[in-house]
Amino acid sequence: MFKELDPILHSQLRLAVMSLLIGVKEAEFTFIKEKTNSTAGNLSVQIQKLKDVGYVEVSKQFVNNYPQTTCKITPIGIAAFEAYVKALQEYLVPKN
Amino acid sequence: MMNEETPMNEQESLRLITDMIAKAKASHFHEDGTSAILWGSVVGFCGLVHFAEQYLKFSIGFDVWILTLVALVPQIFISIKESRNRVVRTDMQIAMDAVWTVYGISVFAMIAYINIIPYSSANLFAQSGVSLFQKDANGVVEPFRAFALSGSSLLMILYAFPTLVTGLARRFKPMLYGAIACYVFFFISLYTSTMYDNLLAGLAGIGNWLIPGLILRNRYIKGKSC
Repeated sequence: MFKELDPILHSQLRLAVMSLLIGVKEAEFTFIKEKTNSTAGNLSVQIQKLKDVGYVEVSKQFVNNYPQTTCKITPIGIAAFEAYVKALQEYLVPKN
Repeated sequence: MMNEETPMNEQESLRLITDMIAKAKASHFHEDGTSAILWGSVVGFCGLVHFAEQYLKFSIGFDVWILTLVALVPQIFISIKESRNRVVRTDMQIAMDAVWTVYGISVFAMIAYINIIPYSSANLFAQSGVSLFQKDANGVVEPFRAFALSGSSLLMILYAFPTLVTGLARRFKPMLYGAIACYVFFFISLYTSTMYDNLLAGLAGIGNWLIPGLILRNRYIKGKSC
């Protein structure tokens, strides 16, 4: 019996964001935007969805009078990501 | 361009995860080498000039090592700029920052030790009623001035420590080889006079930081142009 893939993570942009954040302590919005090659509007919406389910933390501050948004994966997000990868592996290499 | 609506199968998901992790990893080691070039140049210059002063018997009129204190000013600006420009923070970066901060504090403490110990030793001897004298080659006896033995050797151990940690943790071979060379210079300095210790300290600065810093700078420029 295959585990159902987490619908929050099984989306191209949200999965890309989570995959970026899993390997770093925290990353700025501009960094995520550049690496995922996404638009600011779309990325904001997807990060908000990840934030709503508690997968990421978002902090906003002003640096040199410019707003700076920083994202960080949460322990819940790490657990969800690990479960998603495990479920993926089961799909790709089914147990006999 | 990525879109949340684009359907993905399992292989595509896994490929996306791998690609993104690789992209994040490639962004970790983005230092432009400015700090390494600064300190490699300053320590290299000070060591070589001090050696030249002693070897060629001339004086530039001030202690050239003062320049290491002057170099703190641009370093502060460099650190602030790097911190502002940093768009991603990793555990590795945090650990490396801690190592270099501890190194800075330790060098400051070591310089204090080298400069204070002679005076405090003389005071302690005087309080105990002990007077030390030295006789030079001409038989002239004069009061002995205490000094910290081979301070340059001690500083070279400190130079090697954060460089070796960075070289090993980052798998950055130029710093690894620089640190190993620094330990070799340290052992050589145990048998050499202060004059040659200065030469070795200068070479340690060049090998530890200037050359790796220039390599980092080259990589950074190449990375930016890609």
